[in-house]
Amino acid sequence: MNFTPVLAAGGNYSDDGEPTIDALVQWIYAHVADSQEWHLPFGIHIYLPDWISLHAVMLLLCSLFLFIIFGVMYKKKQTVPTGVTNFLEVFVLFVRNDISIANLGEEDGKKYAPLFLTFFFFILGLNIMGLIPLFSTATGNIGVTLGLTTFTFLTMTLVAMIKNGIGGFFGAFIPHGVPTPVLFLLTPIEMAGVVIKCFALTIRLFANMMAGHIIVFALLGLLYLFKAYAAPALPMAVAIYFLEILVAFLQAYIFTFLSSMFIGQIFHPEH
Amino acid sequence: MPGIASLGAGLVALGAGLGIGLIGSKAMEGMARQPEAAGKIQTAMLIACALVEGVALFGAVVCFMGK
Repeated sequence: MNFTPVLAAGGNYSDDGEPTIDALVQWIYAHVADSQEWHLPFGIHIYLPDWISLHAVMLLLCSLFLFIIFGVMYKKKQTVPTGVTNFLEVFVLFVRNDISIANLGEEDGKKYAPLFLTFFFFILGLNIMGLIPLFSTATGNIGVTLGLTTFTFLTMTLVAMIKNGIGGFFGAFIPHGVPTPVLFLLTPIEMAGVVIKCFALTIRLFANMMAGHIIVFALLGLLYLFKAYAAPALPMAVAIYFLEILVAFLQAYIFTFLSSMFIGQIFHPEH
Repeated sequence: MPGIASLGAGLVALGAGLGIGLIGSKAMEGMARQPEAAGKIQTAMLIACALVEGVALFGAVVCFMGK
C-alpha cells in the first residue's frame, strides 16, 4: 500500500512501529477523491497535466466507450437483433418505455428519450468503471453529479418555459383544490421544491458512490491495521463489493427515473 | 467533542435501516396478499428505498464533512 502523500509531522508510523489511523484515512481518501495522477497496474504512473484531472479522464473514457458500443458495435441494419445489439435493446427499450414514455406521455416521451438514455448509460458506465481496479469513480465527485443534475434543472426550467410559455410554466406551481390563503404559502414552497429536488438528486448519486467505495477501502484497511486478526474483513469486503454492483445499476435507474418524473410533473401538471 | 461525527454516522445508519426495513416488510405483505402485483410492488419498493437512502446519505455526507 502506497502512502504517498506522507504526513509532514504526524508520520505514518507511531512510536512502536505500528501504522497510524491518520495514514489509513489518507490512503482511503487518496483512492476515492480526485487527483492529478493515474496509477495503473504494474507500477505505471501517469502524471496528468494541470488542465485535466483523473475524473475528467474517466468522463472522456466513458464517453469513448459509449460511442464505440453504440456507434460501432450496435448494428442498426438488423431486423432481428442478435448479440450485443440484442443485449443493449433490452436496456434501451426499458428506459424508453418504462421511464420516458411512462412519465412524459407518448409523443414527449419519444422526443425526450435520448436525454434519459444518455443519463442512464452514462451514469451506469461511470459507476461500473469505478468498480474496475484500473479506473476510478467519477460519479463519486460532487462536481460530476452536479453537472448531470444541471441538465435536469435546465430542462425543468428553460425547456418548460419554452414549451408551456412563461405563464404556463408559473401556473404549474399552483396546486389545485386548495383554498386561496394557503396558496401564498404553498407556491413558494413548490418553487423551492424544484431546486431542492435537483439538489437531492446530486447528493443521492454522489453519496451512494463515494460511501460504497469508502466502505470497501475501510474494510481492506482493517487488514493493514490488525494484520492476521482481521482475516474476516476480506470476505466482508467482497460481499460489499457485490452490493456495489447492484447499487451501480440501481442508482443509474433511480437518477433517470426521478429526473423523468420531475420533468413530467413540470411539463404536464396533474389536474 | 472528538468522534461525534462517527456517532452521527451510526445514527444515520439506524434511521436508514429502520426506514428500509419498514418499506420491505410492507412490500412483502403486499406481495403475499396478491402475487400478481409482485412486479409493480417490487419496482415501487426499490424507488422508495432509494429515496429513503438518499435522505440517509445527506446525513452521512454531513458526517464526512464533520471530522
